[in-house]
Parts: sequence; C-alpha cells; structure tokens
Amino acid sequence: MPYALCFLLFMLGLYCAVVKKNMVKIVIGIMVMEYAVNLFLIMLGYRSGGTAPIIDRGQLEAGMGQFISSSVDPLPQALVLTAIVISLGSLALMISICVRTYEKYGTFDITQIRRLKG
Amino acid sequence: MLQKEEISNGAKGMTIIVKTIASWVKVLIVLFGIYIILFGHLTPGGGFAGGVILASSYVLLMLAFGREFVQKNMPLMLVSKLDCLGALLFALIAILGLVFSGVFFVNFLQKYLPGWPLKLLSAGTIPLSNIAIGLKVGASLFLVIFLLSTFRRDTSANR
Repeated sequence: MPYALCFLLFMLGLYCAVVKKNMVKIVIGIMVMEYAVNLFLIMLGYRSGGTAPIIDRGQLEAGMGQFISSSVDPLPQALVLTAIVISLGSLALMISICVRTYEKYGTFDITQIRRLKG
Repeated sequence: MLQKEEISNGAKGMTIIVKTIASWVKVLIVLFGIYIILFGHLTPGGGFAGGVILASSYVLLMLAFGREFVQKNMPLMLVSKLDCLGALLFALIAILGLVFSGVFFVNFLQKYLPGWPLKLLSAGTIPLSNIAIGLKVGASLFLVIFLLSTFRRDTSANR
C-alpha cells in the first residue's frame, strides 16, 4: 500500500513535467519525481517495529544480535543521502537555465520560445 | 568581530538590529555545521548535511549585509580553491588506500591504528572523508547561491 502511494506521487510529478507550459512548473514536476524515487528507496529498507540504525554503548557491550534483528536497513538511507545532494545540484542547473532563458526571451512560456537566440 | 562602521553602514542590507544579531548567530551556525561534520560517524549527518549547514551561514550573511560585503569577506577565488581542495583531499584518501594495502579506497587507518569504538577518534578514514566532503559541498553550494543571486533582468534583450 505505501508503494502504491509512492507510485501515485511519481505519476503526479510526471503529469506536471509533461503537460504544463510554464518552465518553473516543469522544474517543480521533475523535483517531485525525484522526491518520489528517494522515498521509495528508503521505504524498501523498512522493517515493521524496527528501531533507528544507531548503536549506543549498551547495545555494543551486549552483543550485536539484538541490534541486527530489530533495526531498519541503513544502507538505502546512506545511498539516498547521496542521491538527494545530486538532485540539489541538478536543480541548481535547471534553475539557472530557466533564468537565462527568461533573460533572453522575456517569458516563461515554452510555446513562445521558438527561434534560437544568442 | 565586525567594526562599528561596517555594522552601521546603512546603504546595503538590513537594519542595524538585524546586522548585529546576524553576526552573532553566524558563529553558532558555523559551530553547529562543524559539529555535524566531525561527528558524522557517530550521529546522523556526515559530510553532506554539515556542508549544507556551513553554506547556509553565508546565506544569512548575504541576506543581512548585502552581496558586496560577502564578496569582500570571502572572495570567490578562495572559495573555488577550497572546493578543489576538498575534492583532491577525497581522492588522496582513496589513493592512499591503494598505496598502503593494495585495494582501492580501503579503510587503511582502521587496520593499523584502530581506535576505541564509539569515541571520536575511531572508524579509520571515515572522519577524514567527512571533512573533505563537507568542505566541497559547502563551497559548491555557496558558489551556486552567490552566483544565482547576481542575475538581473536584462532589460535590453532582443524580443
């Protein structure tokens, strides 16, 4: 059930990126798609009734069996952290493209941008 | 700290109350960012989150004092060099793993100098990697935000 809602969020972002005519709305649609994918990857590592994957001294002294059997998977969380920072970089690039195009054409409407200008 | 005439220069930036408080809060933000970077192997966070927090302290300065003040305080050439230094440091740590143990990017400090678990000086090369990543992400985000704020509407563009 949570995976279906994640897919719905991805579809909403895809609708925004494909149908809308304003450039900023297209960028927002792309970012919503990236959020949906990151959420899906984190939800894959979830375990029902699991604890946060942080070790403290009591769990370290008492052996790692209890910790391993009751914590959520930390590996998808580490990789998704990198993916979030990468999406931040690509957002900066998309926003700068939008700003430069607005400077040259004077509009955000992608149907008005027809000819190539310097 | 800042001089009196720099604080009371009312030409750019916000009022004098905002400028005074911002110059105190900036120190706390930088300290918090360094804490998140250094304790990345014990608490949640690490290089990426700490770098973003370090860059946000300069966003506070840009909002309170104006862009030219931040340009004089931290020139863009120095930030670009810090950016490259962070990337080169990370590559150096990876290559040192190849030199010492024959496997690329292995945790060579953990084999030769293991620390005590759950202390600050543990986990080998992971704190050093966190410092390099924090430096790079902070410098990159500061450059991005600074250069995006210099855009002005080109009123003489060909329509």
